[in-house]
Amino acid sequence: MNGEIFGFEINIWLDALARLGLAVGLMTVAAMALIYLERKVIARFQQRLGPTRTGPAGILQSPADALKLLGKEDLRPKNADPWVFELAPYFVFVPIFLVFVAIPFAFGWQIRILELGLLYVLAVSSINIVGWVMAGWGSDNRYAMLGALRAAAQGISYELPLVIALVAVAMVVSLPGDVRGSLNLGEIVTEQGHIPYIVWQPLAFVIFYVAMLAELNRTPFDIPVGESEVVGGPFVEYSGIRWSMFFLGEYTALLLLSLLGAAVFLGGWAWPLGETVAEQNEILGVLYQFGLTAAKTGFLIFTVFWVRATMPRMRVDQLMAFSWKVLLPLSFAQILANGLVLVYGWPDVLLLLASGAGLVLLAVIIDRAVKRPAERPGRPSGALEGEAAT
Amino acid sequence: MVANTHEQEFETQELLINMGPQHPSTHGVFRMVLGVDGEVVTDVVPHIGYMHRGAEKLCETMDFRQGVGYMDRTEYLANFNAELSYVLAVEKLAGIEVPERAQWVRMILCELNRLSSHFMFTGAFGTDVGVFGTAFVYSFREREVLLDLFEEITGDRLMYAYFRPGGLAWEVPDNFESRVHEVLLSAERGIRDMDGLLTQNEIFLARTKGVGAISAADAIDWGMSGPSLRASGVPLDLRRDDPYLYYPQVKFDVITGEAGDVFDRYHVRLKEMRESVRIIEQCMERLADGPILPERLPRMLRTPPGEIYERTEAPRGEYGIYLVSQGGNRPYRLKIRSACLSNLQALRDMTIGHYVADAVVILGSIDIVLCEVDR
Amino acid sequence: MTTEDGAAAPDGASVADAARDYLAGTIWAQVDEALSGITATPVTDEAERSVIDLIVRVPPREVVAALRALRNPEGMNFDYLRSLTAVDLEEEGVDVVYHLYSVETKHNVTIKSRLPVDRLVVDSATAVWRAANWYEREVGEMFGVRFDGHPDPRNLLLPEEMTDFFPLRKSHPLAEIEVLQGEGIAYEEGEL
Repeated sequence: MNGEIFGFEINIWLDALARLGLAVGLMTVAAMALIYLERKVIARFQQRLGPTRTGPAGILQSPADALKLLGKEDLRPKNADPWVFELAPYFVFVPIFLVFVAIPFAFGWQIRILELGLLYVLAVSSINIVGWVMAGWGSDNRYAMLGALRAAAQGISYELPLVIALVAVAMVVSLPGDVRGSLNLGEIVTEQGHIPYIVWQPLAFVIFYVAMLAELNRTPFDIPVGESEVVGGPFVEYSGIRWSMFFLGEYTALLLLSLLGAAVFLGGWAWPLGETVAEQNEILGVLYQFGLTAAKTGFLIFTVFWVRATMPRMRVDQLMAFSWKVLLPLSFAQILANGLVLVYGWPDVLLLLASGAGLVLLAVIIDRAVKRPAERPGRPSGALEGEAAT
Repeated sequence: MVANTHEQEFETQELLINMGPQHPSTHGVFRMVLGVDGEVVTDVVPHIGYMHRGAEKLCETMDFRQGVGYMDRTEYLANFNAELSYVLAVEKLAGIEVPERAQWVRMILCELNRLSSHFMFTGAFGTDVGVFGTAFVYSFREREVLLDLFEEITGDRLMYAYFRPGGLAWEVPDNFESRVHEVLLSAERGIRDMDGLLTQNEIFLARTKGVGAISAADAIDWGMSGPSLRASGVPLDLRRDDPYLYYPQVKFDVITGEAGDVFDRYHVRLKEMRESVRIIEQCMERLADGPILPERLPRMLRTPPGEIYERTEAPRGEYGIYLVSQGGNRPYRLKIRSACLSNLQALRDMTIGHYVADAVVILGSIDIVLCEVDR
Repeated sequence: MTTEDGAAAPDGASVADAARDYLAGTIWAQVDEALSGITATPVTDEAERSVIDLIVRVPPREVVAALRALRNPEGMNFDYLRSLTAVDLEEEGVDVVYHLYSVETKHNVTIKSRLPVDRLVVDSATAVWRAANWYEREVGEMFGVRFDGHPDPRNLLLPEEMTDFFPLRKSHPLAEIEVLQGEGIAYEEGEL
């Protein structure tokens, strides 16, 4: 039985191995590059230089760090649950790498073209929460526990708006033959040749972006790992290679979700003129399409770094309220509006209008919410009464 | 989350979390035990004393001039202010007249030190709220400029030991005035940056408004002082209410807050920095040439028997020196009244009932220096 | 021993005059009125009085009553406890010192109470000001003064088990503290 990779006939096992190797190798290198870039970008925001000493402009900093981490002792706390503790990194690491399979980079350049690509991506990428909870539970550390619970709550809460925002787009994809709706990422990208979906669905994009930050545990939603509160959250007891796997997983997830956002909302390789260039010259076309994907992904990643350099961290109740009370209803409203437009066959411009109105509503809600002072949610319990009755 | 009647049917367990003495946001060697119900803090017990080095006892064995250095080591972010309390106490007790120039220079340095201390606060507070280093680096850029100036004047970045009973250790450098003007420009830039980065940030507002509020009556009862007290709306500023140096001769506003919450404590400090700039500018106009030490200062300083409780407005609040002399060249008893100790006492009141994340922010908003707390 | 030996004992007319002149410049008249019914004596002796504040001596048993009377918002309204500390006077006892301030009227007053060596006990002021809590804990561990009615009389700064010696007393020179902290590398007493 033979498979095919990028046009070459190949034994199916070799094919699988090649794809796997490609995925893991590429992702690892990309994640290390991202770590380097983040350090450089944030350094610029903070009027620093970032890494400069290792190699020209410090580009060898990430490999050097990786070597250092590999050389460190793999510590496990005495009271940790050995299996849970040691398996946790894989549960974070592996699902994210699996997501890579369905991501389109250029026309036909996808490790596997999956008809239900979007569903696959969302299903697989949410497994890593299990790894976080395992890490927090297995570490026998209260900070880790707190962080893991936060991660679980946050992961579940933001999974919903994320999925629903993407579903809103999947609904309105118009395929040839007047068919609407597709979960095939390749098709979703191809259909954006003229106008990317961010134009039709700005609210869905904003919801996706916010939920993506939360899913990635990036500032302002880095609550599970908040350095100043839970000192690294679930990872507080990890060191060396296992810790680096978490780290690698985080950056790979950043890359993949940015790729997804670029593909679904920003037109991926198709906009602008992706197909036109490919028709002129095949090789140039592939390069151009790769460039488009890279540029859009890079922009999204840059904004994530940008947000990290400027935003404080939200609080856990604000985070939950924002998801359940604001983002989720708005994303449902988006789906409802899309459904009405599609069912009654109204003109597509209504999609834009409804979405834009939702966006304005979101801004108003946020503006009102931040001006309301917080209230004390709890009362003293006297738990430590014996220790100090001040 | 708060347990409502339905949730109470489940068996829940209160978790004790030990925060510190090694924790990134305890601002030094400080430990607090948090009782946590889910994410809500239900009890707080602060533990201090890790930095206790017996400064008061040590000062009893030092003569009056040597004691200045120990003040630096208690309040290491506002050393000039700490030294000032001590030298003023000694001067008043010994009846030493301090030349005018020395007093003006002291005022300038103390206010500059207030700026550098508050920059430290804004930076560290930004990190507490969760800004990844940016507020910290922006603050430290300006603080560094100030420390450079202090180093040029005193020869040291932190432990200045520059004030002497009677005046100053030595004359300030020739380019002092131009350097101060430069430094003020950068400080103003820093204040603007902080305003843009934090004060107007929506998430920052959401995180700080209404958090850790303490009423004026409670704040007074806990003996809080400085910006933390003024944030609750009590206009108590020793520079105005119990004047020392030449503060009555300069114009400045006493900044007060309203709600006494974390945001007010932050905002009072930020506004206070603008007032400090104002004060320094006025001082620079009044600064004239002259001696920096009295003409006749005994080699071995002795005071008549008596006592004094000298208090000054340090960046964190009232820094008091209670000096008892029985005659002779060293204090019989020296007590350092630490602003942070009193402010920290109120932590329990402020924190209970808020979220764990707020506990960190509230602690940050008091702006403690553990060396001053433990002495 | 509850009598006040810090009170000025006017030997001659000139001393009495000087004391009267000194008190005329202070808030003694108002404080005296506020402290009616309490044995309070102002310190007028030049060697003992404070350079800037009025010092009032109160016997240990009446300290808390005096503090409460001074805190009374109808009267002097000393609502702010600046500092609470102690001075070890060796065989004469230990002075407990309260520095009070009124946020409203900006007055300062110092209350002192001398505790005899054999009975270092005074009532706790925590009921008057919550601020007194940590101050009293510190004085307790440093001087061995017991504050009756203190809700939490543990050590504040020192290790909790270090309850048998009092570092700020004059009878404990620095060298002894070294002995307690570092075994084997101790200094002989008096070497420093």
